[in-house]
Amino acid sequence: MTLIPALAVGVLFGCGAFLLLKPDLFRIVAGIVLVAHAANIALISSGLERGQSPIHPLAEGPVSDPLVQALTITALVIGFAVTALLLCLAYGIYVSSKTVDLDDLSHAEARDERELEREEVSV
Amino acid sequence: MSLLVQGLARLLLAPILMVAFAVLVKGYADVGDGFAAGAIASLAILLQYIAFGREQTERTLAIRLLPAAAFVGLLSALAIAAAPLASGDPLLTHRPGAGTEPIHLGTLELIGAFAFDIAVFLLVLGATLGIIHAIAREAERVEGIEPR
Amino acid sequence: MSPAIPLLLPWAAAAALALADGQRRLVGWLAAAALASTFALLCVLAGEVFTEGPRQIVAGDWAPGVGIVLRADALGALFAALSVGVLLAAFVHELLKGGQGRLFPALVLFLCTGLVGLFLTGDVFNFYVFFELTMIASYILAAYGGQGRELRAGFVFAVVNLLGSFLFLLGVAAVYHVTGTLEMQAVAARIRDAEPSAVVLIAVFFFVAFGVKLGLFPFHFWLPPVYASARPGVAAMLSGAVANVGSYGLLRFGADILPAELRLGAGVLLVLGTASILYGALQAVSRRSVSEVLAYSAIGQAGYVLIALGIGGTVGLAAAVIYTIVNSLNKTLLFLAIDLRGWLVGAAFVVGAFSVAGVPPTAGFFGKLALFQAGIDEGSVALVALIFVGGALSFVYMFQIYQHDFWRPDASGTPPAERGPRSSLALRAPTFAVAAIVVALGVLPEPLLVAGREAAQALGAIAS
Repeated sequence: MTLIPALAVGVLFGCGAFLLLKPDLFRIVAGIVLVAHAANIALISSGLERGQSPIHPLAEGPVSDPLVQALTITALVIGFAVTALLLCLAYGIYVSSKTVDLDDLSHAEARDERELEREEVSV
Repeated sequence: MSLLVQGLARLLLAPILMVAFAVLVKGYADVGDGFAAGAIASLAILLQYIAFGREQTERTLAIRLLPAAAFVGLLSALAIAAAPLASGDPLLTHRPGAGTEPIHLGTLELIGAFAFDIAVFLLVLGATLGIIHAIAREAERVEGIEPR
Repeated sequence: MSPAIPLLLPWAAAAALALADGQRRLVGWLAAAALASTFALLCVLAGEVFTEGPRQIVAGDWAPGVGIVLRADALGALFAALSVGVLLAAFVHELLKGGQGRLFPALVLFLCTGLVGLFLTGDVFNFYVFFELTMIASYILAAYGGQGRELRAGFVFAVVNLLGSFLFLLGVAAVYHVTGTLEMQAVAARIRDAEPSAVVLIAVFFFVAFGVKLGLFPFHFWLPPVYASARPGVAAMLSGAVANVGSYGLLRFGADILPAELRLGAGVLLVLGTASILYGALQAVSRRSVSEVLAYSAIGQAGYVLIALGIGGTVGLAAAVIYTIVNSLNKTLLFLAIDLRGWLVGAAFVVGAFSVAGVPPTAGFFGKLALFQAGIDEGSVALVALIFVGGALSFVYMFQIYQHDFWRPDASGTPPAERGPRSSLALRAPTFAVAAIVVALGVLPEPLLVAGREAAQALGAIAS
């Protein structure tokens, strides 16, 4: 039964990697979100046990692993905070450069570098 | 925003907050968590932002101080974590200890984990509202609307 | 002293000061006081750990396998004290310069909390949590200027390091699945019985995650834009404190938890280290902007640490620890010194430059000497030659910066002393303090060498 989580991780990571390679800031953020969720599913699947709820098992028998669930919710919260930060950064870049296209941004970067070179070159 | 969305948003505010509180309160014994409660409550307020716009929501719901509540929540969580250090036990030891009967409020037990969950709820709610407020204000500034 | 106290103090101070307005001087000085007390507590803790042995507490009073373990051993306490000291110097520099935003003191305190937490924890997932706290604080600090260039650099920084964190999380999941525990010592004991191919994969995940953090050769590309566009105090914090996370991670997860895989991958480590040294040095020689030269120099210095790890054994690991300490102090000194103008600032820069190149009487000489000894023990002429060549190249680019910034007039003819306002004596004080420490360690290296040896032995003790 570990085949399905493994496939899920693979599909999520593949879609996330595809989005990460697009020349648009918000696609990159979406790609990071998908990659982070792939890691969360990998975390859950590291402790897969079919069993009772660990807080209040109602019958005898195996109990599912609570540690993995705690790890996953921590990772989800961290992913949430990081996504919020990335969105704020992307929005700040949009406001200051009026574009989210990576090609335009790299032209702006090259322009900045050329100005720096002109300032710093000594005789 | 259309009348339907505004009407639904107004109707749904109280029930969503009630669900958030329910998730918070049953957290120590059933599925539920301070974080989930905070996320649900902030979704309720986000719905108000989308339906009514920034100034009206902030006027009617008195949201000014909630982002600062995030740090108040963090400080209380740290205080709850550090309180056992005063009596020599390690960090985050649960009060009341194993085997002692806690104070009951109806069927609700007042225990250390519940206080910690409330602190986390404040933290998540304050943080999310801070983010929503900042993005909304920036968006208005960019579009030329004067922030009030 | 319990390891919990130096962790709770900056955390509570950060939360309290985030409510106040960080642009006011009182708030800034309160933050500096919190940093200084944390530094003092960590020095006391390090002293206790070095004389009496490791200290451990388990959160929640559970048994060690069930609760989260906070463990201060020689390596962790040393790195924590070093990093918080660097943060203190850089923060006081920024504070005296003025002009930060509302949240700057609170952010630096959160960064301090994250660093102390990850150096003093004995639980793999707790390490991940504090690691993310540190990185989020540094993403915000790197982008704190607010204009297009800093924001773009901050975005690149965040995206690349998030991919590294993703790999680290996969490694943690794999460790839990393979060993059934998250506590570092138990993992080290149980992972010897696990299937070798799975453990090699775990080792690769951790190596890539920490390589991205440290700025090693194939994963270095995010480093120059970030260090070059951050303000000098923040660049000093990133290169002198946050980069230590990478070295500590390689030492802890490599030499401590997965020593067999470290020996297995020694060849790869040596090759990548060599590539980092040569790439960093050659790029640094050819750059014109001062902060870019220092950024590429940081890439090169990371290669030395990797070579010491590849050599391995007590000698190699002690050399890695010593070199990390020296590199951290050097980078702090250099990034802070290029921001100042005035009497004796050139001398402070020269101290840093000599330390990077490995010239006595600076601490860098003993760092390079430890590496030489490790290379000679290994019996490899190529390594010794490489260390010589790297040292010579670093001397060249440091001399170029010195010429450009402190000696020759620039393109419009103004001599260096008149290129900006003179910095006040108070502003120069943190830089002079770090320079004095570098020279003191160069003249009396005993504490440095003892620290390196003790820390390396702490690793060996657990792994054997």
